[in-house]
Amino acid sequence: MRSIAHLGVCIVGLMLAQTPVRGAAPLVADPLATVASLPAVASPHWIWVNDFVFPHMPDGQALLVDGDSGAFLGMLSTGFSFGRLVPAKDGKVIFSPETYFSRGTRGTRTDVVTLYDPVHLAPVGEIVIPAKRSSNMPMMANSELTDDGRFLLIYNFTPAQSITVVDARSRKLVGEIETPGCALVYPTGPRTFFSICGDGTLLDVRLDDSGHATSRERTEHMFDVANDPVTEKGVRIGDTWQFVSYGGVMYPVRITKEGLTLGTRWSLLGPADQAQQWRPGGLQQLAAHAGLNRLYSIMHRGGPQTHKDPGREVWVYDLAKHTRIQRIAMRNDSGSIQVTHDPKPLLFSAFIASTTLDVYDATSGTWLRSIEHVGTTPTILVTP
Amino acid sequence: MRWLDCLAEGSTRAMAKRTSRRGFLGSLGGFLVGASGLPLLPVARGAQAAESKDPAGKPDAKADNTQDPTSCDYWRHCAIDGYLCGCCGGSQSTCPPGTEQSAVTWVGTCHNPADGRDYVISYNDCCGKSTCGRCLCNRNERDTPLYAPFESNDYNWCSGSSQANIPYHCSTARIVAVAK
Repeated sequence: MRSIAHLGVCIVGLMLAQTPVRGAAPLVADPLATVASLPAVASPHWIWVNDFVFPHMPDGQALLVDGDSGAFLGMLSTGFSFGRLVPAKDGKVIFSPETYFSRGTRGTRTDVVTLYDPVHLAPVGEIVIPAKRSSNMPMMANSELTDDGRFLLIYNFTPAQSITVVDARSRKLVGEIETPGCALVYPTGPRTFFSICGDGTLLDVRLDDSGHATSRERTEHMFDVANDPVTEKGVRIGDTWQFVSYGGVMYPVRITKEGLTLGTRWSLLGPADQAQQWRPGGLQQLAAHAGLNRLYSIMHRGGPQTHKDPGREVWVYDLAKHTRIQRIAMRNDSGSIQVTHDPKPLLFSAFIASTTLDVYDATSGTWLRSIEHVGTTPTILVTP
Repeated sequence: MRWLDCLAEGSTRAMAKRTSRRGFLGSLGGFLVGASGLPLLPVARGAQAAESKDPAGKPDAKADNTQDPTSCDYWRHCAIDGYLCGCCGGSQSTCPPGTEQSAVTWVGTCHNPADGRDYVISYNDCCGKSTCGRCLCNRNERDTPLYAPFESNDYNWCSGSSQANIPYHCSTARIVAVAK
């Protein structure tokens, strides 16, 4: 009987809703060719979800989502084996190292840095670069800007290793710096960066004001590549790059006037954590917030071969004391995390085998919302 | 907006009574179940291990797939990352038609439980077409980061291939030698 009564209410409601309102002005025709645009200044709570679309690699994408509302704001089409967007420091343009083939998956290969207008999400220019851009599981360190935003640095692998330098101000190719035996890009100043070398040293590279290398020097041995290598997924806070090993040991690489030095190592894991086989893992496994001086690490339980596995917890550390201050239980598997830079930061979490983007309060760890159907194989999360 | 809620509810009830709708949902469910049953990313394996409370994240112990080249558990696949060529028209050592095998690649050392020996395995990628999309598999025994390339499965090893250059299709797992 209750269902019949409910149906009656529905029918009456529908009749009222469908009753014409006499005398009301007719709806006006929608104009043709209207296209949405975004505010000139990005919200600190937006996030770019980069996606290399592994099942269809020619169709790379970057998807923009508002963490506050959960709204999907727009996307960019970013070509073959896409890595990640590199937003300019002033927010006025987005750089995107991309690869294209003249016949889709064959023909002449052309690598470019495409420049996108962040308001209209449309290409406004491109810089042709050497067709050597590394094709790999996307990492933040595939492409980075120098600290002053002047030069864009892009890692190449053919398998010869080098760095392409692009002048972000003049929007022209500068050239290429050979980095034999060393990979990826970690900026350390307006004219300096390092790459990590296969023997556990760093290649400390210095540039002149035109973007050409003036020195390339190997540091002393810093990482134990043979027994417990650090992952290439480090994060930077101020003058320190924080790297974590497969086994959860933190290696702080400090940027000093004298050069790059290794700070005091410390472990994410206490004896009880180790006994329970807790371990860091994931694709973008670390995040940091400079103002809070906190480090975030995706954690799971597993053996030595599980260094890329996702986690169901994110552990939060006080970087001044090297102590864990919080364990955040994740609602879904987490393989990539990012924390916004503002005073009330959000923690974003994604996973390459899922299309759900989760949003948390990065201070309290409280889950705020989940946004469904974001991309295909989401990889690296980047703040605008 | 209550009327809209009613409409939606009514429609859902009506739809649920239609066999065609149920058939569609059933098909979708079947697809999802089927997809989740495929060998997936390592990450997915890790997730499954977490759900099963297996801290080691090991493959399914109930089934011995270590001699099945189309299984992610196949013994040669201990450090592979990609689509298995055996599911894509090739085999564990042969590229599918119309593709090109990469000359350089990463290697792993895998244990064959059938003869008790360790072998050096070369994971040559097959290149020149879009991704195969079948039998995705990722295992990371002795896998190194990108800065140690020749034991890293995170590179697209079609890079530098003479003709195909970069398009990645699938991965083979060739025996190179008995590991000393």
